[in-house]
Amino acid sequence: MSVRFRLLLLIASTIILLPAVVVLALGMPAFGAHPLPYGDAINRDAPGQRHISNMVSAVNFDYRGFDTMGEEFMLVTAVTGAVMLLRGTRGESPGAEPEEVPGRSVQPAGEAIVLICRLMLPVSLLFGIYVVLHATATPGGGFQGGVIIASAVLLLYLGDGYRVWRSIVRSRLLHLCEGGAAAAFVLTGLVPMLLGHAFLENILPTGQFRDMLAGWLMQIENLAVAFAVAGGFAMLFLEFLEETRAPKGEE
Amino acid sequence: MTLLLAALFVLVAATGTGVVLSRDPVRQVMAIAAHGLGLTLLFLALQAPDVAFSELTVGTAAVPLLFLVVLASIRNDRKGQ
Amino acid sequence: MIDLLPWLVTAWLMAVGLYGIVTSRNYVHLIGCLTVVQSATYVLLLAIGYRWNAGPPIFYDHPPGTPAVDPVVQALVLTDIVVGATVSALLLALALQLHKKKGSLDPEALRPMR
Repeated sequence: MSVRFRLLLLIASTIILLPAVVVLALGMPAFGAHPLPYGDAINRDAPGQRHISNMVSAVNFDYRGFDTMGEEFMLVTAVTGAVMLLRGTRGESPGAEPEEVPGRSVQPAGEAIVLICRLMLPVSLLFGIYVVLHATATPGGGFQGGVIIASAVLLLYLGDGYRVWRSIVRSRLLHLCEGGAAAAFVLTGLVPMLLGHAFLENILPTGQFRDMLAGWLMQIENLAVAFAVAGGFAMLFLEFLEETRAPKGEE
Repeated sequence: MTLLLAALFVLVAATGTGVVLSRDPVRQVMAIAAHGLGLTLLFLALQAPDVAFSELTVGTAAVPLLFLVVLASIRNDRKGQ
Repeated sequence: MIDLLPWLVTAWLMAVGLYGIVTSRNYVHLIGCLTVVQSATYVLLLAIGYRWNAGPPIFYDHPPGTPAVDPVVQALVLTDIVVGATVSALLLALALQLHKKKGSLDPEALRPMR
């Protein structure tokens, strides 16, 4: 299929579907003024049932926890696929020493950048951990905090260079982090089944409302998701950055 | 429909068009980051702070970084050939 | 009439992203256009869950019972954003391997032999 044929096909289907889009847009419920029964039910019942104040986390980890398990396994699968693709053709064993690319000038980072990166790294890391821990009280959770933690460690690469970053971020530790967290999520779901309840049912005492440690089973799932996301993203960064260090004349 | 919401919707549409129309991959990375920032502001205006958090970290830090690293290794590969 | 803006913006984003995918001449540019198509779904879901003069579904400062927007669609979009970024990374790894094997990232230059 040439580009011209594809473009003609796209234009033809757009012309055919444009009346459908117009009819749909006119027939959609009024923006902001239609009833939301499922959302109202959760907003009304969840604070009393689960004692937490972040409804989005309640939906993510308790009412629809099974979907979050599926999403986490999608994440683990995509990261595994990317890592397999990159490591398979590079042929290096995990944990190999970083190599320099010959013929490329290495410019030292400016002193202001190094200072700011060294100052901001513990602050960003602490902020990421704060966001993960306060999932049930304020906006936050495992997904956001995990990405913040993985990106905060990159400040080390920006300020201090590739060798320092590589010596701290070890691929074996990241494998354990990511796979272990996904397994921990499933085991957390299986524990209520051993005691005669449903899968992923919240059986531990739920604590006080607006407390940081409320909703016990959700806390464990939240930590598992944070470890999985942080480990997955850090492994992606590691594999992609390792790609820029392949020696010349490999092919 | 308040003015703020309408302006943010139009901004998101404009940055999305900008991502498609920048053909050079290096320029497109900046357009992706701008689109992520526009989406974050829209999600904040739609009363969704969790989602805005997620989109901010992913769309402006993680995804542009992955794109830039891939482009750098493609450039290194081309120089080595 | 102006209340149709969210649905029109969704349709526009998806159409413009598809146009970018069809007429792309570089695989990395194609993956960037895919993120635009994904963002169309986020805008649609959050626009469905909105309610006028309501606050976010976080009851830390306000007592439970104040009007709030729908938390279910927010939970869906939240996980979707992170997983979408990971899938983009997988596609970028594929594009990198393609460049290593064939030396080019142009869809026209990489057409299968007849």
